[in-house]
Amino acid sequence: MVVSARSGARVSSELSKGGEALTIRVCGNFDFNMHREFQRAYQNLSPAPKRYRIDLSETQHLDSAALGMLLLLRDHCLGGEEDEGQCRVELLNANDHVEKILLVSNFDKIFTLR
Amino acid sequence: MVADAFRILVIEADRDEAVRLRELLDGCARGIGAIETSVLADSHSALDNCPQFRPDLVIYGPAAAPRATPEDLQLLRTRAGPEPVPILFVKSERETLGSACLQTGCDDILVRPYNPNLVQLKLAALQRFCDFNRSLLAQRNRMRQHHADLLQEQASARQIFSNMGRESCLDQTRAIRYHLSPRAVLNGDVLAAAYAPGGKLMMLLGDFTGHGLAAAVGAVPLTSIFYSMVPKGFSLCHILRELNAKLHRVLPGNMFCCAVMLELDPHKQYGRLFNGGMPSACLRCGSGNLRMLESRHLPLGVLAETEVDEAVIHFPLETGDYLYLWSDGIHEARNLKGEMFGEQRLLDAVSAPMVEGRRFEHILAAVNHFGAEQHDDLSLVEVALADVVPRSTTGSEMGSEPDLEIGRLGNWSINFTLGPEELRDADPLPLLHSVLAQVPGAANFQDSLAIVLGELFRNALEHGLLRLDSALKRTDRGFAEYYRQLDSGRRRLSGGWIRIALRCRDRSGRGLLEVIVEDSGPGLPEGNAGRGNSYSGRGLRLLRAICRRLQVKPGSSRVRAVLDWGQVASRSRRLRKLAI
Repeated sequence: MVVSARSGARVSSELSKGGEALTIRVCGNFDFNMHREFQRAYQNLSPAPKRYRIDLSETQHLDSAALGMLLLLRDHCLGGEEDEGQCRVELLNANDHVEKILLVSNFDKIFTLR
Repeated sequence: MVADAFRILVIEADRDEAVRLRELLDGCARGIGAIETSVLADSHSALDNCPQFRPDLVIYGPAAAPRATPEDLQLLRTRAGPEPVPILFVKSERETLGSACLQTGCDDILVRPYNPNLVQLKLAALQRFCDFNRSLLAQRNRMRQHHADLLQEQASARQIFSNMGRESCLDQTRAIRYHLSPRAVLNGDVLAAAYAPGGKLMMLLGDFTGHGLAAAVGAVPLTSIFYSMVPKGFSLCHILRELNAKLHRVLPGNMFCCAVMLELDPHKQYGRLFNGGMPSACLRCGSGNLRMLESRHLPLGVLAETEVDEAVIHFPLETGDYLYLWSDGIHEARNLKGEMFGEQRLLDAVSAPMVEGRRFEHILAAVNHFGAEQHDDLSLVEVALADVVPRSTTGSEMGSEPDLEIGRLGNWSINFTLGPEELRDADPLPLLHSVLAQVPGAANFQDSLAIVLGELFRNALEHGLLRLDSALKRTDRGFAEYYRQLDSGRRRLSGGWIRIALRCRDRSGRGLLEVIVEDSGPGLPEGNAGRGNSYSGRGLRLLRAICRRLQVKPGSSRVRAVLDWGQVASRSRRLRKLAI
């Protein structure tokens, strides 16, 4: 029996003092296999954080499923009201490869890239 | 046969030993639940009995064990069914755990004299082993069944998708070559192409998030909108806005569609391309220079509403130019070392000197040679830009004589006036096309009519009302600036109108169609008729080739075109010469 190798990716999150900002760090390949961990990192937080920071410094690759997860986080943060100001999701420290993927999809137009 | 009992087949010729064994096993039943025992004299009768009794466990008694052969054991295991059946030998304490019994291939031994507690423990362990195997097999069977159902469903779905693809004009022109290679049965990449009225070719290559069924399903709304809007003459941007809004409504929040859509106008020899989230398309000029047409927009379906106009890239069509489109499956094809094929290798393959007509195979071969395993759906499209021959030409080449088929033409007229509200964002051409499509004989020269209406309407809007300068369009950058000005001018429009009047007169089956387009602007500047500001080169040449008469007067904002309603075949031949 062949069991597919588990990707070495991990998701860790840290809430700032006061719970205003949530930082989620994704290590390794940010792909479909992470979707449960990634969602768990930001769901069921009360009170909901005002700002979300996704730290991509340890992210090697990011696929379209990961882009989809970022969109879900954006929806979560907008709470269904698209016009309600600027979405407070920041994507931080992406390496060149990951940044290029984000730019090809023009995700810089709906997220803040730093 | 007791249901759910633990079934033990005992093989023992010696009666006393058989009775002792049966008593021993029955004694264990108190500890482990119902046991059903069947005693047979030898391997031969055991083999016959196996398929009916379906033992969970086989025990060779002390007299039978020395006579068992490896072949007997193998046959027993085969006959007993798919679940593994443990086989035990009874051996006396005095006998060494000899190689003889191990070589026969038994799984374990029972030691004589029997210790009922130990036997009970062993039976309980074996029973757990059998239960585990049984549930494992049941799960395997369920998974097999599900997998077979899934493949069956996907095969049906694939049939539906391939039937939907028949609407495309991909195989009607030699200008387009394509290769779509799904990773699984279904494809998350989608390619659609159709001719718009006026002979424009519209094409779309899309890549939905993920692959397999969920990704492929997205192709349904995409292609249905594409194939319904393109033939009606909707503009590139209008179709894109519609696709985006529809996909935003139907796709789940984490799904979207990266897409390249292009419009090629072989008459006016320009192309327009929208890229939302796809890898850069590559325009290979006859000279060998490459121009990358990069993504300037979010993928379709991400935002509820979107402005696509500013993301559209304009480029001229020249003989010998090729356009290459691909999905990221090509970039991300990996070799055994895990390296990606990447953009650079791809561009090397595109720019390599090559006999014309061989480059497509060369690129595919380079990717296939590099990639060890396909990780994603993979698509490659090549368009020979100067060879995109409009459909009407192929129609007349096939020998259809449209003027013979026209019956009564009728005498009728349509007047149509558009105010600033309509001109700001409405597109009146599809509406006019749909009205005219109902008129007898109109289908025969829908393309000519579409070109004339399109040219005259755009002239009235862009030059009559908005006073845009066609000279801008001479450079690539100017082209983009022109369309930026058009877009912003249209949005700021607060007054003015455009009037379109169509009148058909039946002259015993060979009628005349008069098209008058007028706008509220100050009219064509004096001394400039036919050149410079109004109709820059191509537009006018095109109109003169199609129309019987064309009246453009300096100082007037009224343009009158007269078309022959019936001499289609000869007209479209002239049109074709012009296009080539």
